[in-house]
Amino acid sequence: MTLVMVVDDDQDLSEMLGIVLTGAGIDVDLVSRGDEVMDVFRNNPPDLVLLDVMLPGMDGIEVCKLIRAESMVPIIMLSARGDAYDVVRGLEAGADDYMVKPFKHPSELIARIRTRLRRTNTDISGLLTICDLAIDVQAHQVLRAGKQIALTRLEFDLLVALAKEPGRVFSRDALLREVWGYRHSTDTRLVNVHVQRLRAKIEHDAERPEIVVTVRGVGYKAGVMGGS
Amino acid sequence: MNRIISRFRTSLALKVIVSTVLLSLGVIYVAGSALNSQLSTGIRKVNLESSLTEARSTIFSAQYRFVLAQGEKEAAVRKVIDDVISSATSLTADANAREVIFKKSEGNSREINYEITSNSVDPKSIPIELSRSVRKSDGNMWSYISLKYLDAHEIPGLAIGQKVLIPNAGQYEMYIVFSLADQNATLDLIARYLLLTGLFLIFLIGLITWMVLRQVVKPVREAAQIASRFTSGDFSERMLRHSQDEIATLAMAFNDMAESLEKQFARLENLSRVQQRFVSDVSHELRTPLTTLRMASEVINSANASFDPILARSSELMVAQLDRFERLLEDLLEISRFDAEAAVLEVSEFDLIGLVQRCVDDLALVATQNSTELRIYTIASEVSIKADIRRVERILRNLFTNAIDYADEKPITITIVASDDDVAVGVRDSGTGLDESSLTRVFDRFWRADLSRARTRGGTGLGLSIALEDARLHNGELEAWGRPEKGAHFVLTLPRKESESINSRLIKLQPDDFHE
Repeated sequence: MTLVMVVDDDQDLSEMLGIVLTGAGIDVDLVSRGDEVMDVFRNNPPDLVLLDVMLPGMDGIEVCKLIRAESMVPIIMLSARGDAYDVVRGLEAGADDYMVKPFKHPSELIARIRTRLRRTNTDISGLLTICDLAIDVQAHQVLRAGKQIALTRLEFDLLVALAKEPGRVFSRDALLREVWGYRHSTDTRLVNVHVQRLRAKIEHDAERPEIVVTVRGVGYKAGVMGGS
Repeated sequence: MNRIISRFRTSLALKVIVSTVLLSLGVIYVAGSALNSQLSTGIRKVNLESSLTEARSTIFSAQYRFVLAQGEKEAAVRKVIDDVISSATSLTADANAREVIFKKSEGNSREINYEITSNSVDPKSIPIELSRSVRKSDGNMWSYISLKYLDAHEIPGLAIGQKVLIPNAGQYEMYIVFSLADQNATLDLIARYLLLTGLFLIFLIGLITWMVLRQVVKPVREAAQIASRFTSGDFSERMLRHSQDEIATLAMAFNDMAESLEKQFARLENLSRVQQRFVSDVSHELRTPLTTLRMASEVINSANASFDPILARSSELMVAQLDRFERLLEDLLEISRFDAEAAVLEVSEFDLIGLVQRCVDDLALVATQNSTELRIYTIASEVSIKADIRRVERILRNLFTNAIDYADEKPITITIVASDDDVAVGVRDSGTGLDESSLTRVFDRFWRADLSRARTRGGTGLGLSIALEDARLHNGELEAWGRPEKGAHFVLTLPRKESESINSRLIKLQPDDFHE
């Protein structure tokens, strides 16, 4: 069964989240302090973390960085502010997605969780190549000259989405649909921040990207093979 | 020339210096002229007196000699005349020349002629008037003349004449002529020195004025510079105080003002920070319990089917009102962000027509429920714009839902017109419309077009206020037109590039289909 760790200092909200998630067939681990997260995380690694930004003991952003340092587990930040600053900080610290309280609908939260947990691209078999990277979709691995590059599941999905249609230019909206599973969202910050993070891991020079190329005014596309 | 005039207009120092110099030029001219005429009169007078004394004694001694030569032969008389001339005359005709003229008086009919002049002076140098007055008088007479020589050169001179009796030759006029070349040269020199002194004085006055002015103008300039720095928001600068005078008082007053301004601004900034902080805290504190409430209500409402009708309806109302509460909270927070000037644009480039299309698609169902429809009219297929897509979408949704609410089952027209710099979206309904007084209040917070109308639409009453703030944040404009029962027309105009301002109205506010 899927295990989701819920980190929120509001007891009532945690309990409510527990009720909703359990109802959807998801196991829940409740943590109320930021500084307790890592112990629980190591003892009982979850499949996904729901992480509030404002936490006693340790800031949610810090917690996010600590988790990222040792795991590629999907992280969804919960923010009560919805300010651009909080959201971008969370994404830059390694969160895959964010939700602003109050959620429109409990089912929206569950849909997000399921999107982050689903096995994507199961239809693709074999290796994809993009520039000098080899992507083994089944094994969930990215290799450069035989050496593995560690990517979060979301970064991996983003790279695969671009790599499986090398010539196509993806608008940010299209990527939000394809990778994040949003029907329509206008928050392109999500795409921008994750493209930056992906580039930092796979590009030779993140300032002059060759693999994930920006198409001005439109979006992104995979770099042409040997095009450097 | 224009530059000099405008410089003159703008520079206090230049103005004061020029007027001071002009005024002192006048004063110095008058004083200098008076001094010059006093000096020359004095010099002429002294010169005249000494010349008269000298001439008198010379003429007297000549008369004495002529008396002694009474009865002598012509040759002896001529010798006496030669002696008189040589003793009274200078050797050369230079600047200090002194000449003697013997002239036969008119009416002297003696045959013998002793008329003679020294150093080839032209006897015609003596004017007739002088000669006449000498004849009539027993004393000596004088006049300023032009001393002519036979070689045609002239010098200014003073002629003093008296009658003399030459033995056996009757009455003659004897003139001593003094050259005034020397005196005139002295007078010229004095005039020249006076002129030079005057000019030098004026230069000095100009210089002194400039130096004094600098002391006054410098702090004023400094104050102006600092004040202009205040305008650009830098309140750190202060004027320096060098003394205890009025300028120092100015500096002190100026500094006090700066300090007070700085404090006021700091206070306002702090207030704004406190406000922002408060908004953020309220936001956090309200949102968390609201999240729990919403989830709980959804869980309860999902079991709706098993409730009895009263409980079922109550749970529906609870869910609906929580929705409304949430919208109200979001709108209030947004408004307080505008009030605290904490709202920021997150600009990206997107296609406005695509966005309009998407909003229309999303609202199609609501429109159908209200028996109306949204029709888009545009000739462009794509209008890219750099703006905050979240805010632009919010403006559009507000305008569209507003139009649907008041459409009275008539179709709604959405027009999009773009130029190179701006883009305009017009939303025209033909429903209830707005009267004159409503038009001025339509963007007011919590204002509703028709108070008798039940609040069934579920709007927060803040939609258009927020839309206007959103448009202004983009340097754009949102305007409303309406007539009772003739519908309303809302026009949003936005610059296509970030932080530019709009320079034209692409859609007329009064719709073309309307005629008064």
